[in-house]
Amino acid sequence: MTRLLLLCYFATNFAACLGAQQKLTPVNESAYAKIIAAHKGKVVLVDFWATWCEPCRAEMPQLVKLEQKMRARGLELVTISADEPEQEAAASKVLKEDGVSGTAYLKKAADDDKFIGAIDAKWGGALPALFLYDRSGKKARSFIGETPMKDLEAAIEKLF
Amino acid sequence: MKTILSLAAILGLSAQVSPAQEFKIGSPVADFGLQDLDGHTVNYSAFKGKVTVVVFISTQCPVSNAYNDRMNELYKAYSARANFIFVNSNATEPADNVREHARRVGFVFPVYKDANNVVADRFGAQSTPETYVMDSAGVMRYHGYIDDSQNPAHVSKRGLAPAIQAVLDGKTVEKPQTRAFGCTIKRARHAG
Repeated sequence: MTRLLLLCYFATNFAACLGAQQKLTPVNESAYAKIIAAHKGKVVLVDFWATWCEPCRAEMPQLVKLEQKMRARGLELVTISADEPEQEAAASKVLKEDGVSGTAYLKKAADDDKFIGAIDAKWGGALPALFLYDRSGKKARSFIGETPMKDLEAAIEKLF
Repeated sequence: MKTILSLAAILGLSAQVSPAQEFKIGSPVADFGLQDLDGHTVNYSAFKGKVTVVVFISTQCPVSNAYNDRMNELYKAYSARANFIFVNSNATEPADNVREHARRVGFVFPVYKDANNVVADRFGAQSTPETYVMDSAGVMRYHGYIDDSQNPAHVSKRGLAPAIQAVLDGKTVEKPQTRAFGCTIKRARHAG
């Protein structure tokens, strides 16, 4: 830790350096399909968010609480940041502050149109966006826009 | 943020995007009405006969704001030959807010309000910024993003400018549909 702090001290942006301890894993459409497949047996909630998206930022702590509450029953939260690559450190900092656990991802597709279309043909790419998958890895619901937690929780309950 | 959320709660904002999309690529766009910032109604029919560009924008969305300069440039480049209708459909952004924002960021074009997001619903617009191009007969020829990155340094594909140019030239738009990324339009909840 001392070494890390020293490294951060010599970095140009001390705060960003401290927040960048968690590297985000890049994800494109094929990697996304693998992530969903790897979670088979669990109910998966995929949260597409970005540091600039205020409603996403407001939702994040609530999603973390929801996952903590329902984790034992099989819910897993997957976060995918839609930030530009230069915002990765800031995104990582937000995830840390909000207590997001597990692997966090950063959208990095060669063709955003294809990537977004592969996730949901009806989704234009607007944020916030949540996608809920059942235990077989089949998409059960899409939530585009701000979503009341009670609605989300009710949709998840149906998959248990 | 709390202020925004409280306002959203007061206004009874819809949590989900459920636009009853009426206008589609390749089909004529029927007349629709908007309000200028003084509350006067302006109809799309008044713009017909010329190529028309509709852009849904926001005062608060950082992605929409990232395009302010690019929108000004597009307007300067094409407004002599095409109509531009910049629309704010967000229930959280009243006309006074839109007027102040336009002044502050230096928009060179007028912005119209879309009360109860009726026009956004008819277009099926989900986000800001999101754009549409209609030819001089009113047929939709393009729907999607301005370009593929909010950071001008990262742009690899442009959508709106080539579409406007193609329609002005009477040519087929090479990529008539792209995915407009950004912030969701903050819709008012419709009765029923």
